[in-house]
Amino acid sequence: MDILLIVVNVVVFLGLAPLFEGIIRKLYAKVQSRKGPPIVQPYYDLIKLLGKERLTPGNVAFKLAPMMAFASIVTVIMLVPLGFKVNILTQYADIITVIYVLTLGGVSVLLGALSSRNTYAMVGASREMITMIMVEPVLAMTLIMGALKAKGLAVSTSFFSVGDTGYGWGVALMLVVFLMALQAFVGRQPFDISEAEIEIIEGPFIEYSGPYLALFKYFMMIKQMFYAFLFVTVFMPFLQTGYYLANIGTQLGGILAVVVLISLVGSTNPRLRIEQAVRYYAVLILLSLTAVGLTVYGI
Amino acid sequence: MWLTSKIKQVLLVIKPGTVTLPYPFEPHPVPEGYRGQPSWDHHKCIGCGGCAAHCPARTIFIRDLCQDLRVMVYDGGRCTYCGRCADVCPEKAITMTKNYELATGSKKDLCTTMELFMATCNRCGRCYEMETKNAIDRMNLKGYRYDNLEMRAVLPVCTEQFDTGMLAKSDRFKRPERIGE
Amino acid sequence: MATIQALTDQLKKKFGNAVTGVENPSATQLFIDFKKEKVREICNEVLAQGGRYLVSVGTDNLAKDGTLGLIHTFAFDKEHYFLSLRTATKESEPIESITPDIPNAGWSEREYMDLLGMKFTNHPKPKKLVTADDWPSDIYPLRKEVPFNIKPLAAENVAYQLDECPEGCSIVPFGPYHPTQHEPAHFALFVDGETIKGSDYRGFMIHRGVEKLAQTQISYNEIPFLAERICGICGSVHAASYSQAVEIAVGHKISRRAEYIRTIMLEIERVHSHLLWLGVAGHLIGFDTVFMQAWRVREPIMWLGERLTGNRKTYGMIVIGGVRRDITPELKQDILNVIGTIEKEMITIKNAIIGDTAIHRRTKDVGYVSTEDTIKWSLVGPVARARNVDIDVRRDMPYAAYDEMKFSVPVVDCNDVWGTVLVRVLETFEAISIIRQALDKMPNDGPILTPFEDAVPAGMHGITAVEAPRGEVTHYVITGEENRPERWRVRAPTYPNLQGVPMMLLNNQLADVPIIIGSIDPCFSCTERMEVVDLRNGGMKVMSQSELEALSRNKR
Repeated sequence: MDILLIVVNVVVFLGLAPLFEGIIRKLYAKVQSRKGPPIVQPYYDLIKLLGKERLTPGNVAFKLAPMMAFASIVTVIMLVPLGFKVNILTQYADIITVIYVLTLGGVSVLLGALSSRNTYAMVGASREMITMIMVEPVLAMTLIMGALKAKGLAVSTSFFSVGDTGYGWGVALMLVVFLMALQAFVGRQPFDISEAEIEIIEGPFIEYSGPYLALFKYFMMIKQMFYAFLFVTVFMPFLQTGYYLANIGTQLGGILAVVVLISLVGSTNPRLRIEQAVRYYAVLILLSLTAVGLTVYGI
Repeated sequence: MWLTSKIKQVLLVIKPGTVTLPYPFEPHPVPEGYRGQPSWDHHKCIGCGGCAAHCPARTIFIRDLCQDLRVMVYDGGRCTYCGRCADVCPEKAITMTKNYELATGSKKDLCTTMELFMATCNRCGRCYEMETKNAIDRMNLKGYRYDNLEMRAVLPVCTEQFDTGMLAKSDRFKRPERIGE
Repeated sequence: MATIQALTDQLKKKFGNAVTGVENPSATQLFIDFKKEKVREICNEVLAQGGRYLVSVGTDNLAKDGTLGLIHTFAFDKEHYFLSLRTATKESEPIESITPDIPNAGWSEREYMDLLGMKFTNHPKPKKLVTADDWPSDIYPLRKEVPFNIKPLAAENVAYQLDECPEGCSIVPFGPYHPTQHEPAHFALFVDGETIKGSDYRGFMIHRGVEKLAQTQISYNEIPFLAERICGICGSVHAASYSQAVEIAVGHKISRRAEYIRTIMLEIERVHSHLLWLGVAGHLIGFDTVFMQAWRVREPIMWLGERLTGNRKTYGMIVIGGVRRDITPELKQDILNVIGTIEKEMITIKNAIIGDTAIHRRTKDVGYVSTEDTIKWSLVGPVARARNVDIDVRRDMPYAAYDEMKFSVPVVDCNDVWGTVLVRVLETFEAISIIRQALDKMPNDGPILTPFEDAVPAGMHGITAVEAPRGEVTHYVITGEENRPERWRVRAPTYPNLQGVPMMLLNNQLADVPIIIGSIDPCFSCTERMEVVDLRNGGMKVMSQSELEALSRNKR
């Protein structure tokens, strides 16, 4: 039974992440008056990429990086409380672990970029690094706020803190900050700076192709779904129904709403320059610190 | 400022809906006067060579096999579809069809070869139209050089893309013995 | 006011017998012959009198009198005429470069070093420009004795030497193939962190030998179709410009109705080109919705072109002597309907983007060039008008039916990329108004095509400019024997504007490179229309897939 919950986690995330990606693409197309690709197109993309030849212009780190990224995100999704229900793995990790393992994914992207030794990949890597340094604090603050509210570092404590102890001004502020940082978390316009197809040609991923690229793409899709999931779980505890399967359903509904928001914001904004984005991130960090401060005083 | 712009953008986007055409699944009609693949009507052609003389891309080539037989070769692989040949044709034997789906695995599918029997003037040895009005005189076009032998010699040089096999074939051209061969 | 008379007098007075001849065949054309020793002084004097440098034309007269000709052309916008300064030099004797004073002449002169073997003294950057890296240094392809299809052997291990990279900077290659550029061109950016400290350009990778071809292979009436294919976006402009140049050189008059139809076609092209650019600009700053929506609005005008001319882009409409197809009353109504819709949609687009601070953040203060520098570098078109330089040949040197059109020339003083966005959006409305006026005033009768009655006489010079969507196109024609021009020089608007790009890039962010290069609406094919086929691997070695892979994997 314990194993079953983990399997459900993995199946739901791995199975549905490309679908949400497909929904985003479809919504982008609708905003752009296009018909757009079929919603299941990302699955086709992944299958096709996985079937292609492996080209490795870099050293062994080049091969290792996508696997590391994929492994790290799979580790995270295995222990998150899908359906508002903790599984056997959840107790072994605390929020620090979650943040570490999530960061490891970003570090793998850097590793792959640096080992490919391409000029554009270098530029992309430096941008990715800046983004990581500036945006990860918002994630950390969100989880720390939960931990402070519910007095415990455990994943379940932090994730369910809002549901357990109720909303407050701190939570409201954090909710807004999280929404503002969402585009940066998932690497969509206006913060797709590190990939920036038209400037640096997908930046860190420029030398990747075939199965390795598929792993990175899959990693990005799952990451996107994870951040939407995190928002829904932490800030929308009212979606709990009391039944496990119904909980999964409501959570997925919440994720869908977040995904719609992501695509609407993404399709109506141009990309920012890195130094403009940094100023924006700095404001976010300040706001999230404020939110944590408010929470400490119980506001 | 920012928000009003975003709202206007969303309004701009909502009105037209989806405009993508279902093209490969449904044919896309083209208007009258469209300049698609040219087609030759051998009933009307008098073999004057005006099209060959005026083709900017030099895709039309005319060669006399003997006193009575003139062969026209059109190499569609390099055609720019300007429609100049149809403009200058004195007999309107060339029409620009509406056919634009020309992708093919073999360049030969785009080429047209036409053989024409010419009546020859007994006095000067040139070909002419056999009716009362002389179309060659009526053409009155500048740069008309259907009998410019030097240019003909240059043609295969200036068009490396020109199918040499086809040229060779037109050199050795033999009438098919049966129709359809 | 340097009128034709005043300028001639001034030059004669100042340079005495260095000026050897003056020709003034029509009110818009002035040709002055002079001795080559005074080239720099005379050009400086012309600049001082208010001339705006256009382009230089090199000619090969070796067979005739053993000289290489050089023609510097200038426009006097306020006085409405073109000035062509003609000089000649012996093959072995160098001529003084005017580039130190007129930076925009740099490319023209480098071109003739490569193509005609001219020698220039004091040129600040006498590097190879046009010919391939491995092109033999003793073959000058534009000379008459060189056949148009010459194919010298390819050489290995020859590469263009980039300019010195400034201290502490690293080189980021931009191109030859890059998603920003729709055509190959290589920008080497010298980057400090993300800030650009300098750049070098190596382009001209797609010469198609258009001018050589026209001078050796095809005839007057066929060149408009070749000219139209110089550019995929502003084809009619080149066809119109070439036809006008020949008509001006010979003094041929076409019917008024044909001139009106030309005007309408040119303006239809402007509407479609500006919408295209707006979309591309959106794409370059990562705003794909603007891209898709602008192109959606543009699509009806492409279909309109199809109905008017038989093709959606390469109209093939304008030929020497007039136009090929008439505008019937039904088509007239059709045009009015289409431009009405487009005007409505354009207003919506304008309102949606004009106040969008997100777009402002990416375009304002990006690609700054001061008004003085713009004039000094002779930038043209929307790039110049966005930098407070009020030039537009439609108004200054009226051609076709523009003399009867009422329109304003939008000029803004933003001096940045945002200014070019504004200028282009406003110009679209002006273009729509011009189409309406032209349809309204067009005479109902008159032939649409007035062909030449006699053969074109040789040795006549003609210069004309047409305002393309990107800026002005200048064509210089010298008529020749054998029913084809002896020299046909095309200067596309990207030619001067691209030379100003390094100046625009300086001290900007790497992320802004696409939009800065995009803001001049670059058309590399237009710029590189010149000369013989440039095949790097003339030998055509076919590589197998594994060989290619091995090559690409072992690149480091």
